[in-house]
Amino acid sequence: MQEDFHYYATYCASYLSGFDHQQSLDICYSAQLVDLCSRTFLKKNKAPQSAATTQLQLEMMDARTDPVGLQDITRIWSSFHFLPYDLNAKVKKGAGRQYRSKYRLICNTNGDLLVDTIKLASGKGLQAAGLAMHILADTWAHRYFAGTPSLVINNTNYYFYELMPNESGGLDEIPISFRHSPSAPDDLDEHKYTNSLFQSSENSIMNLGHGRAGHLPDYSFIRYKYLPAWGGYEEIIKDNPSDYYHAFCQMIYALKYLRGEYAEFEKDTYEWNTPKQYESEIKAIIEKRQLDACADWKAFGEKLSGETVEPFDLSKYEEEYVSANEKEKNSTFLGQFILAALAQKSMVTNKIFTSGNLLAGYSIDFDKMGFRGIKDYKMLVEHFRKELGI
Amino acid sequence: MTKWQRIKGVLVGLVMLLAGAGMALLGAEAAPLIMGILALSLTLGGIKTLFYYFSMARHMVGGDQILIRGLILFDLGSFTASLTQFSQLYIMGYLLAVHAFSGFVDVLRALEAKRFDSPSWKLNLSTGIINITIGILCVVFMKSMDIAVYIYSAGIIYSAIVRIILSFRKTAVAYITPS
Repeated sequence: MQEDFHYYATYCASYLSGFDHQQSLDICYSAQLVDLCSRTFLKKNKAPQSAATTQLQLEMMDARTDPVGLQDITRIWSSFHFLPYDLNAKVKKGAGRQYRSKYRLICNTNGDLLVDTIKLASGKGLQAAGLAMHILADTWAHRYFAGTPSLVINNTNYYFYELMPNESGGLDEIPISFRHSPSAPDDLDEHKYTNSLFQSSENSIMNLGHGRAGHLPDYSFIRYKYLPAWGGYEEIIKDNPSDYYHAFCQMIYALKYLRGEYAEFEKDTYEWNTPKQYESEIKAIIEKRQLDACADWKAFGEKLSGETVEPFDLSKYEEEYVSANEKEKNSTFLGQFILAALAQKSMVTNKIFTSGNLLAGYSIDFDKMGFRGIKDYKMLVEHFRKELGI
Repeated sequence: MTKWQRIKGVLVGLVMLLAGAGMALLGAEAAPLIMGILALSLTLGGIKTLFYYFSMARHMVGGDQILIRGLILFDLGSFTASLTQFSQLYIMGYLLAVHAFSGFVDVLRALEAKRFDSPSWKLNLSTGIINITIGILCVVFMKSMDIAVYIYSAGIIYSAIVRIILSFRKTAVAYITPS
């Protein structure tokens, strides 16, 4: 997903769920920040680098793909963009441990980890809510891909067709051609899209997430079919308009839970009624064939609240964080976001580790072993102890 | 990282360190050794790829390509090992490709970091310039086997040091059970 959905559509979902204009802005800002909070950004602001929620394109090119480097990449992408669906999924007969570990990181909607993610954000403030909304929305866009570099899971081949509605109510299959120039914009009229280069190395960074399918999963309007590498030659039909509407309604439900309107967050539950009166308007935005739907979502959001939805500005909260003294940093906007990011990464790493999968690295239970490991997480431990008055 | 992985990292690093220093001392005489290392790495790469095919890629759509790649690499390794005379051009070409590519990536990283006002851009730029300079040296001293061996040895020593440092890095993530 892109800024149009993570920022503007999240604003709309927040407002519809009952948050006011300013709260909705904080939520959608945090949701969008997940795509920009890189090590480079954190380094610039002298913030803990383990809180990175994304990697810039060139950070990835530079990233090591030895076991430790792969664990770092997997922690970032599995925790925030490709939440694994089933950490105990059964695999094909004869598949070894390595294959099984990667297969179990495939992202999909309504997994146990989604419930854990939303519950973790409960009572933790608007930044944690926004961060959770990013993760929830991405489970719909990025389903069927894994947040770890893997050729055997994430690769795609020439079998790729766009499904275009025709006049008789059916769908025409139009072959998609891919090119590898990152600077060339996708050509919707010619069905030419950019994807990452084929790299036969299992752990090449080119094989991370949906790189081999280009930006197709990030466009709300598109429907397509393809053969996923892991699927045993069974094609997948991806209906993004339907998935994006589900994501929107599930976000409203999750945000209502975070506001305390529901006592429990349950899987496969959607708030269909709240946006009912706007359904056709929302679906029209989602289905409009365009590379960037920011303007349409912004207009819709402003119509809902009657307020101006300011454009996303990465530097908005930097000064507040940089100028705060050490004791106050955690209370700043960025400080709260960083704590939420560390908590999410720690939780997902723990779940993957305790399932017997080492792809995201090692997790040490603080309650049993005390503090060990990467020192950036000490601030999370200290914050937690402070909250409990220990 | 497990304790065994840490021990392995340090041991492999120490062996690489000794090999790099030894080759630098030998100078041009170490050239056949470099050819041997290249042949061995291609052959092992082929075996590793074939193992990858049988353990993972055979489950993948289009995995047969991996099988073919493994066979070609293995064949290329055997061919390199069978060369009776070492090729200076071969070694220089290898070094040039590795350093020029790394340098190019480092410079791009520096430009990106500068765009974000991150102080790390200076470090990235300097490592990029060093790598590109080494690449240029490979072209300038195409005919000097001594220089080729020194550059190759320096690369091995650098990798060894990085490997040893990384073996001591803390990698575990703390987890607090939600109350």
